[in-house]
Amino acid sequence: MSRKSYSRHIPDFRLVTHYAESRTSLVHRINPWTKAVLLVFVILFVIIIQDPYLLAILLVATVAFYAAARLPLTLLLGWYSLPVFFVLTLAVLFVFSEPGRQLASFTLLGTRIALTENGALLVVNLLMRALAAVTFSLAFFMTTRYTNIAVIASKSLPKPLDNIFLLSYRFTFETSDEVADVLDAMRSRSGGLVKGVSRQTKMFAGIIGLAFVHAFERAERIAKAMEARGFTGTFPMTEKIPRMSYGDYALIGLVALALAIVAYSRYFNNLIGW
Amino acid sequence: MAHVHLEDGSFTLFWVLIWSALAAGLVSIALYRQGRGQIPTRKLAIASMCVAVGFAAFQIEIPVFGGVHLNLTPLMGILVGPALGSLSVLTINVFSAAIGHGGWSMIGANTLVNMVEVFLGFYAYRFLRGYAKVERFYSGFGAAAIALTVSALVAVLIVSVSEIQGSTQTRAQTMANMLVLAIANIVMGLFEGVVTGYIVSFLGKVRPDLIGESAPARTEGIEDRLEVAADV
Repeated sequence: MSRKSYSRHIPDFRLVTHYAESRTSLVHRINPWTKAVLLVFVILFVIIIQDPYLLAILLVATVAFYAAARLPLTLLLGWYSLPVFFVLTLAVLFVFSEPGRQLASFTLLGTRIALTENGALLVVNLLMRALAAVTFSLAFFMTTRYTNIAVIASKSLPKPLDNIFLLSYRFTFETSDEVADVLDAMRSRSGGLVKGVSRQTKMFAGIIGLAFVHAFERAERIAKAMEARGFTGTFPMTEKIPRMSYGDYALIGLVALALAIVAYSRYFNNLIGW
Repeated sequence: MAHVHLEDGSFTLFWVLIWSALAAGLVSIALYRQGRGQIPTRKLAIASMCVAVGFAAFQIEIPVFGGVHLNLTPLMGILVGPALGSLSVLTINVFSAAIGHGGWSMIGANTLVNMVEVFLGFYAYRFLRGYAKVERFYSGFGAAAIALTVSALVAVLIVSVSEIQGSTQTRAQTMANMLVLAIANIVMGLFEGVVTGYIVSFLGKVRPDLIGESAPARTEGIEDRLEVAADV
């Protein structure tokens, strides 16, 4: 936790893990399987719902879930920059070519560009979808301890994908720290990643090349250590996830019912007025 | 850089299922090629380290054009091969989805795009270096540039076929719009090609065994040892 992240817009896995391990809110105490199922449901809601009002309700619900876990909202706002950037990058290609009633227009290099009602609605919908999914995803990882994530991964992923996932989750911290150290060392010598194309590219390649060499050497050492300790292809799980309670089943049942109504309304019968 | 930077809800459920099923099929082949789950511990550790470094490299923001990052997927293909590389990129996509770098429902589509990069990176490098006997830098550059150019077009194809949910534009219009992004990705791919070329040259000097070349015999100090042996 003493290390700082080297990117402002990308969630720091160390910080995410810290919140999962150190907090004890109501959301932290929800069964990890229940939260995992809810995450799947939220993704399905995001894909199926088309109505902007329902999407707004979904976004508010996910933010409320995040806030109920007593996680910092300012951090979430900062981490929103990545999905917002991706949505806007895509939207700028579509927003001005959607047909519909014009809201605003301007001329660029002799070409008239117009923002339409449909174009604006497309951006808003894509943004709400992205932010709802990201908020719940972060809430899940910031409230579920590593040992529990390890159990979920080992039960839901095929071999050896579960082992790769679990090992790389651990290695991510060390590798990120190592790369951050090299970047800090570069900055402390008044260096930067923008120093002319050739120098910048060589510098970047040196950092990554070194990281790969260290990674391979570490991997070889770790493999020998694992084999010496009798690794047989399965990581022993030190902790079990308790069985889901009736409350967990009730919560999942309720959300599943809402999802079924939304799906039925979209694909079979227009119940909500879409 | 060439992956589908789309968030959840951009595709309809039908296309999410199609791309996920295709990716699952290819991942199953990769798993089969790796020995039906019985992967050697060394390979397991190397694949995991590749994921960790790849994910760390994702996070290094180069402050140009508002902030860009590299994929290093062709390099991963060169280093660990197409099967293990495919499993690695799938894991990177899962990590990325967890933090909003592409949606959960985009894991299938992104894995397909990244698998193209891994496959072409591996085979193009092998051809250029092994058969055409091109220098390490140009082999690395060529392999990454080819892989990323093709994958940028595959990404455009995936988005165009699937169409953006909520958009009224046709597939042809979507493709025309996405081509702008593809051109940007191809330019970035050339930059990544140069980076890959430098990394491959660097690895060739310090650990040639990592890029499938035999390490030179260690001869440092051999004269001293021969002299000592003669004295004895």
